[in-house]
Amino acid sequence: MAAHGAVEAVSAASAAAGAAAADATTAASQVVHTGFALVVDRIDYAIMVPLVYLSILALLVGVIWRLVVIFRSPPPPYSLRLYPAARRPRLAAFGETFTMPQVRRHRPVFWVFLMIYHVAFILLFLGHLDILPGVNLMPAGSRHMLGAGAVGVAVTLPVLYFLVRRLRSPVREFSTPADFLLLLLLLFLFLFGDMMSWGNSWSPHGFVMTKADFRRYFDGLARLTLADPRAVLHGSHYHFVVIHVFLAELFFVVLPFSKIMHTFLSLPVNLLRRTGGTVAERRRLHG
Amino acid sequence: MDEATSLRLKKLFESRLHSAMRLYLDTCARCGVCVDACHVYASIPQARYTAVGRAEVVRRVFKKYFSMEGRIAPWLGEVLPMDDATMDQVYDAAWSCTGCRRCMTYCPFGIDTQLIMSIAKALLIGADKEPKLLTMLTDMSIAKGEGVEETRESFTQAVQDLAPEIKALWPHSPDPVVTVDAPGADVLYVALAGKHSMIPAAAIMNAAGEKWTLSTFEAVNFGMFLGDSRKGQAIATRIHEEAIRLNVKEVAIVECGTAFRAMKYMTGSHPFRVVAFVELISRYLREGRIQLRRDTLPGSVTYHDPCQIGRNGGVLEEPRHVIRALTSDFVELAPNRGDNWCCGGGGGLVALGEKDFRMKSARVKADQVRASHAAVLTTACENCHTQLTDLNEHYGLGMKVEFLSKLVADALVK
Repeated sequence: MAAHGAVEAVSAASAAAGAAAADATTAASQVVHTGFALVVDRIDYAIMVPLVYLSILALLVGVIWRLVVIFRSPPPPYSLRLYPAARRPRLAAFGETFTMPQVRRHRPVFWVFLMIYHVAFILLFLGHLDILPGVNLMPAGSRHMLGAGAVGVAVTLPVLYFLVRRLRSPVREFSTPADFLLLLLLLFLFLFGDMMSWGNSWSPHGFVMTKADFRRYFDGLARLTLADPRAVLHGSHYHFVVIHVFLAELFFVVLPFSKIMHTFLSLPVNLLRRTGGTVAERRRLHG
Repeated sequence: MDEATSLRLKKLFESRLHSAMRLYLDTCARCGVCVDACHVYASIPQARYTAVGRAEVVRRVFKKYFSMEGRIAPWLGEVLPMDDATMDQVYDAAWSCTGCRRCMTYCPFGIDTQLIMSIAKALLIGADKEPKLLTMLTDMSIAKGEGVEETRESFTQAVQDLAPEIKALWPHSPDPVVTVDAPGADVLYVALAGKHSMIPAAAIMNAAGEKWTLSTFEAVNFGMFLGDSRKGQAIATRIHEEAIRLNVKEVAIVECGTAFRAMKYMTGSHPFRVVAFVELISRYLREGRIQLRRDTLPGSVTYHDPCQIGRNGGVLEEPRHVIRALTSDFVELAPNRGDNWCCGGGGGLVALGEKDFRMKSARVKADQVRASHAAVLTTACENCHTQLTDLNEHYGLGMKVEFLSKLVADALVK
């Protein structure tokens, strides 16, 4: 009982401190910034509002453009099928795309990290959808992101493993600067996200900004209010959020021109191995 | 390399960018899972001998000229320009790859390095840097085909001279023992230049009572080895036209992997069936048209799946059916079927000679064969047979290396 009372007291104190911080920030936001502070404010706003729209637009246009270029090209001149033939070629290609049996067979440790990473990445995507207004994958009012911080671990640790693996021979020898930079981008993107998620889920006091604050920010973005997010994202850790969002924008812009395009291409490529990919084979498969 | 050549090669590259090629060039994550798939890397562990290492050479040229990354930040992908130094790398990549496609069984995306190497080979032809011996063999093959009418009589006579050897294997052969381009046949058999590719096949088909005739053309497709799709198509088309003219139901391709795959899968559709000769033997056994003396071979027998017939052609169980009719002591190589190691002689390497490289790069194949402890190593491909014979001698494996058709012909119940 005593312990329970203590927790409640801490919680009440934390809430009071948060409210005080919010008041202070609101007051601070009403202060007119000049000079360097004004430049930082403008950059923060650009990252948190217009660049979000622009990066998502670049992502969509880039991906569609890449897919159009690929799939408007002529089909392969001859069959690329591999044998023994699968009894259900399309089902086999689907299974190979999502479970990577080749990697499981030849590189089981790598496969474990790959599977954890990809499943967690999907959960990460859903976790961010959960912040959107009207979406409640977690119980309404929960302060936890989907997975309560575990999803962050599940994407961050594999990326560290991928980085170490890429530094070792022979993978290092055919890796390009883009391979390393992409992994570093993901690593820092995840780490800045982890700080918020782990703070809110693993600390009794929480991160300065709560999931409810982020929901208000997403609500503004969804309703195209163009309002300054500073009004709803209180506290001195605002720049961590800005950096997280900036890295995410960078990821969106880079994605269509990077190997992350395999998100969209993995299934079509795997289909070639199982169905052959020629016009005649496509017709045969479609009956 | 002058600018005009560079521009011409760029256009040549672009002409090869069909959807599958773009997918293969765009999707690789350089995860390195494929490295252990290649027999060359397993035998000579250098990154340039990995599937991804080879494909990267072509991919970096692709990035330079056909990707946003190459235009905005070429250093990100370490792009390669179309110049002489790059063409040296392209040569190294293309002519150390046998096109076995074993790497496809390792890649989580199923990227076909052989297809990517077809661009490398096309670029080398465009830059006049391809292996000239193969160009010569290809052109000779085409010229021989064009002059077939002048040589038909002498060819037919030379084939008839094989009668004693064919009758030694199957005494009940009809007269003439072999017909050439005869109308009314059900099967058109396409052989190689050597008589070893005709005698056992003729004996087997005669024993089966097959209505067959011999093609005037050679099955071997040097154009495909060279990577010249136009010449490869020309070599295949004359067989196609011959089969149409004779109105045959089937074209049976001699034990030659590339010839089989080129004819069956790479040169368009045909109004007749294309079969590997081993498929025909298996069918004769199933239908009871031939009988074989079993267990006459000394010791156990193992089988090497030729890449272009097995993994890339789908003929996997028929050879095993035939071997089990020959022996009760059949041992599989490990791995086998679609996972089998390449012999190291494909992709034109045997035709080019390249014996030093072939022996060094196929050490893993020799180890695999040795581990079977078989007395007889059989296969159904000319290239594989030559390479395995060389490996047998080079590594002192002490085996008998034999064509499957020869083992069958020798065991025919007379």
